[in-house]
Amino acid sequence: MAGPSMLPTLDNSGELVIESILPHRLFPNRLARGELITLISPVNPSRIICKRVIGLPGDIVCVDPTGLKAPSTEHVVIPKGHIWIAGDNAAWSMDSRDYGPVSMALVRGRIAARIYPFNRFTVFSRAATYIDQ
Amino acid sequence: MPLFPKFLQFSRPITARWVRGVANEGNFRRARSLISRPLRLIYWLPLGLGFTQYFYTVKTIRGRSMQPTLNPDTSGWDDIVVFDRYAIHSGEPIGKGDIVALRDPIDSRKMIVKRIIAVAGDVIKTLPPYPDAEVVVPEGHVWVEGDEPFRTLDSNKFGPVPLALLDSKLTYIIWPLDRIGPLRPPVPPVSKRGDPRDSRWYSDIAAFEREQRRQSRVTTHSTTLSQQNTANLV
Repeated sequence: MAGPSMLPTLDNSGELVIESILPHRLFPNRLARGELITLISPVNPSRIICKRVIGLPGDIVCVDPTGLKAPSTEHVVIPKGHIWIAGDNAAWSMDSRDYGPVSMALVRGRIAARIYPFNRFTVFSRAATYIDQ
Repeated sequence: MPLFPKFLQFSRPITARWVRGVANEGNFRRARSLISRPLRLIYWLPLGLGFTQYFYTVKTIRGRSMQPTLNPDTSGWDDIVVFDRYAIHSGEPIGKGDIVALRDPIDSRKMIVKRIIAVAGDVIKTLPPYPDAEVVVPEGHVWVEGDEPFRTLDSNKFGPVPLALLDSKLTYIIWPLDRIGPLRPPVPPVSKRGDPRDSRWYSDIAAFEREQRRQSRVTTHSTTLSQQNTANLV
């Protein structure tokens, strides 16, 4: 697992993670917001990418709060069967801000834990904290 | 590797004429006759599964969205067709005009069968209910449409489809028998003077005209290619 788009959660240089695929194959609709998922890239079918789920079908998502790739007032309603994904490193991530909502059929599984380097062992949980105003 | 003809022999009593010749082979065959049918099924199952997952598979087409190419109203049966999975897995460039099976982007449990109208980089004029009048198909995506524009759930509803959702290519129709054969690309049929024009000729001409109407809404991204297309239409 390598690449800068998920800093600081996942490092740029190679890391070993455990990808759990079977629960997603059995229950494809159980995606939680804030979950780390692996999916096949919509722009290149031979690449597998890892991003975070931001929005589920029916949600209204602000396309880019930072204003880099779209005006920060632009919002999108996610169509049925699609999700909005984003990399943690907003400055260097090609995600739904570029190619829009992605179909849930492209999702392969979720990242369950990081096992290498050993001093950074973490288990990624599915729970997300919601901040309500 | 056991061969099937040898298996069939076990249902007949082993006569002296077959057993004579190799002394230990008689014991071996009698022992193998005790292997039950479920075990033999498990032995061949991975090969069969691997073949249908990666090479060819046979499926039935349901629905009217690809009429009249598939499931026309004139036939009383659903079409049974052969899908080629290897063409997609091997990474060949996807051809325009191919009929493919893909995962429905809206409901990933369903498979839908549609025709590829435009590939990445082409500009296509969309049909309702798509909100934009013209779309540039982005990189890594294709535009699929059903042949029957009024009864189809296709890219005019859910937009360009990423290539990763494509599953297999339709190559051969095996049922009904009057349309059995490889899927023919819609080219105008050649006929000499004085040849009677039968229903097959008319349906070929109609298929060619539908293909022309479909391609008239697509502008290919390379100007040299589009000039060649207009030259062929003349």
